Amino acid sequence: MPDMVNRFKSVITYILVLLFSGFFFIPLFWMVIISIKKPIDQFTLGFIPWLQFEPTLRNWEAEGVKQAAENLKALMNSTIIGLGSAIIATILGTLAGYALARFEFKKIKNVDIISYFLSLRFLPPIALAIPYYFLMQSIGLIDTQLAVILVHAAAFLPYAVLVMRDAFKSIPVAMEESAFIDGASILKVITNIVLPIVAPALAAVFILTFTFSWNEFLFAFVLTSKNAFTLPIRIAESITAIGVFFYALSIRQLIAVIPPIILGMLVQKYIVSGLTMGAVKA
Amino acid sequence: MAKFTAYHSFILIAVAYVIIISIFPMAFMVYGSFTNWRLGLSRMDWVGIKYYTDLVGDYRFYNSLQVTFLLTALAVPIEIALGLVLAQLMRCQIRFRRFFRTIFLIPLFCAPVAVALMGEVLFYEGGGPVNSVLNILGFPSIPWRSSPIIAPFTVVLCDVWMWTPFCFLITLAALEGIPRELHEASIVDGASSFQTFRSIDLPLISSPLITILMFRILDTIKIFDIPFTLVGGGGPGIATETMSIYIYKVAFRDFTLGKAAAISLVFLVLIAIITSLFIKRLRRYYA
Repeated sequence: MPDMVNRFKSVITYILVLLFSGFFFIPLFWMVIISIKKPIDQFTLGFIPWLQFEPTLRNWEAEGVKQAAENLKALMNSTIIGLGSAIIATILGTLAGYALARFEFKKIKNVDIISYFLSLRFLPPIALAIPYYFLMQSIGLIDTQLAVILVHAAAFLPYAVLVMRDAFKSIPVAMEESAFIDGASILKVITNIVLPIVAPALAAVFILTFTFSWNEFLFAFVLTSKNAFTLPIRIAESITAIGVFFYALSIRQLIAVIPPIILGMLVQKYIVSGLTMGAVKA
Repeated sequence: MAKFTAYHSFILIAVAYVIIISIFPMAFMVYGSFTNWRLGLSRMDWVGIKYYTDLVGDYRFYNSLQVTFLLTALAVPIEIALGLVLAQLMRCQIRFRRFFRTIFLIPLFCAPVAVALMGEVLFYEGGGPVNSVLNILGFPSIPWRSSPIIAPFTVVLCDVWMWTPFCFLITLAALEGIPRELHEASIVDGASSFQTFRSIDLPLISSPLITILMFRILDTIKIFDIPFTLVGGGGPGIATETMSIYIYKVAFRDFTLGKAAAISLVFLVLIAIITSLFIKRLRRYYA
């Protein structure tokens, strides 16, 4: 009898798991399907290529040839801005995180400095967008990649600081201490001894800040127009500009979501502490 | 006087960077909120607290407050509840656990704008897949985006799709931190799995759950991307015009930066109050 109950329970479990998987997977799957449908098929429900509809690569070709210049520009901008802001945030975050993990500050306590970074994380972006626009306008950086890089680095720096602090805290200090006794400088100790140990966390911080920047919309939207626009802006503008040509939109959408999905899967281990800034440990 | 060490300079660089990039410009915005600051106009004349007092009779301000709280009150509980269900499911003995876990995480990495676009395609009213399926099942088409009553729910649906994985992941991490012996003991004592969940799991994960709740509340209050792109800037009309969207429109469509700055600051104070409660909680993780 308990066997029956258990079997019943596990059937329910599988059904629920499959339902949820469908909920999360089907929307994205549908974008792939629609991107290989002919325009005439875009409003049909068929989802099995060859059997239910004739698949075509014409849409991809059109996006890659006719629209290539603009798509490529957005892709390049997103990549450069993502790399630039991830580099700044990771370097500054590593240094500050190391100091917070290894040094007891006297005048302002460590936990207060941490609270400062935490509170930055919760600032509403729209309240920053206006002064950012004004700042970049007045120093002539509006519509440049650098403007978005500087702003994204500041926006995502708190993550880098707190996740790196967490990583440093989790390794023993003994090796650093003996290196200091041997007379090594602090930067030497960080680059030669500590960083190799926390390399996975470092990579995760870099990838996370890159993805955040890649996906960010509001700042990039306010700070750019013709030159430095990123992929999310390209998508948002396509919605109004090309209307219901979903087979074309889906391709731009896929270009925007596939890289972060792949990158995100690489750092699964660090996502929990990354997204909660170390407040919840995995 | 404490010695100024390399550690001090490490912190100083990061703190100074944020102050120069964010805090200084924000201080300027405080000044701007008392002037008739306009986009494209170099003169800024002092108007005092005019824009602040104007807010009292501004129905769009009240509307945006209402929309923002409605979206938050709908989306956040659903996300947390679904996250909890998913986390419980993933703790069962199922095959391909890692595979399913990965599927559940997909939305976490999608740009909100891309999610909005997906909503546009799926909820398209003139023959999109969701309405087509509804029709096949014998239901009428639903005006997902053109009805001011339904549009907020469509936004909530997209937000739930996007953020349930976050709640799931953190809840799962918290559940996996519970020692196995506790479960085994309760099973030996003959407790049902629901009893085990209610009296062992739930109390032990209540603290991470509250952390998730606060993260989600603070992020949903600021929601911009999805209603802005999915329903044409907070439409139809102003049905999904959240605080962030309203401020955006005042600043960059009406070009009245002074007014936008004033609303931003009111919004900022509101968020600062909630944030300070949250930070009090979070601090103990870092002590």
